[in-house]
Amino acid sequence: MSLIQARGLRKSFRTGFLGRRVEAVRGVDLDVREGEIFGFIGPNGAGKTTTIKLLTGLILPTAGEAWIQGVPVSDPRSRQHLGFLPEGTFFHEYLTGAEFLDFHARLLGIPRDVRRQRIPELLQRVGIPHAADMRLRSYSKGMRQRAGLAQALIGDPDVLILDEPMSGLDPLGRKDVRDLILSLRDEGKTIFFSSHILADAEVICDQVAIIVRGRVVHQGYLDALLGQELSGVELVVEGIDENLFEQVQALAQRALVQGSRFQFEFDDEAEAEKALDWIRSEGGRIRSLVPRRRSLEDLFVEEAKKETHA
Amino acid sequence: MTAGANRIFVIAQNTYREAVREKLLYNLFAFSTLMILSSIVLAKMHLGYDERIYYDVGLAAIAFFGVLIAIFVGINLVYRELAQKTVYTMLAKPVHRWEFVVGKYAGLVSLLALEIGMMAALFMLVVWYKDTQFPIQLLYAIGLIFMELVLITAVALFFSSFTTPYLAAMFTVGLWIIGHLLADIRDFGNLPDAEGIRPITQALYWGLPNLDRLDLKGPAAAGQVIELGTVLSRALYALLYSAMLLIGAVALFQRRDFR
Repeated sequence: MSLIQARGLRKSFRTGFLGRRVEAVRGVDLDVREGEIFGFIGPNGAGKTTTIKLLTGLILPTAGEAWIQGVPVSDPRSRQHLGFLPEGTFFHEYLTGAEFLDFHARLLGIPRDVRRQRIPELLQRVGIPHAADMRLRSYSKGMRQRAGLAQALIGDPDVLILDEPMSGLDPLGRKDVRDLILSLRDEGKTIFFSSHILADAEVICDQVAIIVRGRVVHQGYLDALLGQELSGVELVVEGIDENLFEQVQALAQRALVQGSRFQFEFDDEAEAEKALDWIRSEGGRIRSLVPRRRSLEDLFVEEAKKETHA
Repeated sequence: MTAGANRIFVIAQNTYREAVREKLLYNLFAFSTLMILSSIVLAKMHLGYDERIYYDVGLAAIAFFGVLIAIFVGINLVYRELAQKTVYTMLAKPVHRWEFVVGKYAGLVSLLALEIGMMAALFMLVVWYKDTQFPIQLLYAIGLIFMELVLITAVALFFSSFTTPYLAAMFTVGLWIIGHLLADIRDFGNLPDAEGIRPITQALYWGLPNLDRLDLKGPAAAGQVIELGTVLSRALYALLYSAMLLIGAVALFQRRDFR
C-alpha cells in the first residue's frame, strides 16, 4: 500500500520583475510504500524541496495531485499522522527545547500526561536530553537539527517527511540520524527523505527517486536501479618495478602510487585479468582485488549529465 | 474544546508568549509608564488644570503606545512566522490556515488587552494618588482605544498576509492616519469647488475604517456625558470591520505559497 502518492505534480512560480514563469516541478509521480525508507535525491535546485512542500501542503500545485495515507494533501487531515522536518531548521527561537516540543504536541492535540512522558524520551532519543531547558536560539546547528527531528516525531507519526535531515550535522551526527531513520523503519514507520549526500541514501534506502530539473528521471529499488553487474575492478599490488607499473597504467583507467603499493582501477574486467597475469609473471604481490558495482553516485552523475546536456 | 479551537488557542498562547519575551514591548511599555507619570510633573506646572492634565496625558499615552505596540509588535510577530519560516512546521500539522490567522490574531489581541489593562491601571493609580476623581467616561474612552487597537491589529494582519513587513507597517500607519482624518476628507469633498473629487472622498469616507468614531478621549477628559449605547455601537462597528479584515486575511493566506 502506498502511503505517499503523487501523480503528475507540477509547480511553476513567477519570478523577477516581469513575472517570468519558472517550472520548478514538472510532472512528478511518486509511490512510497508502507514501511519503506524512500530517498529523494537530486542536485541543488532540482525541485526536491518544492516537491516536499507540495506534499506537506505548504504550496499549492499548479497541476496534479498528491495523497498521504490516501487523503489529498489539500486536506489538513492528511497531516494528522505525518511528521515533517523542513530544510534549514526554522524554529521559534524564544522557546526552550521542551517548550518547543510541547507546543507542537499541543497542536496535534496530544494529552498532557503523554506529552510529559514523550518529550524527555524524544530529547533523549535524538541525543539532546541536556538541552530541554535551553532556549533554541542558544542551540548549535546540529542541536537544532536534532530538535527538529524530535518535533517531527512528537506525534508518533506513521509517515515522516524529512527534508535534508543530515545537513548541518558532523559525521557522528549523520551516523546518529542514519541509525535513527533505520530504527524508525524497524518500528514500521514510512520515511521519505531528501538528500544530496548520496552515500547516506545508498546505505539506508529501500527505494530512491532521482529528480533532475523538476523531473523524476529514475525511481525504483536500489538493486533494480543499480543492477548486479560489475562496473569495474579495483586492484592493489606491491613489488612491481617502474616498467611494469607503466605497462599496467596504460591498461587501467586510473593508477595511484601509495608508497610501496600501487592501486589501479579498470572499467574492463578482461584488461584487469591481463594486468593480473603480467603482475603474477613478474613476481608482483596482489594485496587486494575488489569488484566494483555501479554506485548511486555513478547513476546520479550520469543522469545529471544527461539532463544538463538535454 | 474542539480540536480546531484547541489549535487556535495553542497558536494564540504561543503568539502571546513570543510577544511577552520581546524586548521592544518592554521598551514601549517603559516609555508609556514614563509618559503617564510625567502628568504629575506637568500638572504642577499648570496650576488649576491638574485634573484635565492627568486625564489628557493618561489617555494620550495609552492610545499612542497602544498603537505603536499594535503596529510594530503585531506586524513583527506575523512577519517573523513567515520570514523565519516557523510557519512551516505549524502548517505541516493538521492546522487549517484560517486557524493560524485567527490564532495569531487572538494572541495579539490578548497581548493588547494585557497592555491596555496595565496602562489603564497605572493611569488609575496616578489619578487615585493625586486624589482626583476617575469618572466612568474615562473607562469608556479606554475601552474604545482598545477597540481601535483591535481594528488596527486586523489591518496590520491583513497587510501582512500579502506584503512585506515594511510595506505592511507603512500601509497600516497610513491607514491609521487617514482613519483619523476621514471627516476632514469628507468635508473637503463637500466644498463647492471639489465636486470632481467628491466620489473619491465619499468612497474613502464610507470604505475606510473611521477611527475618529473610536476616539472619545477629548469628550471623556472634558467630563462630557457619554452614553453607554454610543460606546457599544462604536465598539460593534470596530468588531465588524475587524471581522471583515480577518476574513480578507484568511482568504489571502488560503492561496498563499509558503516558498
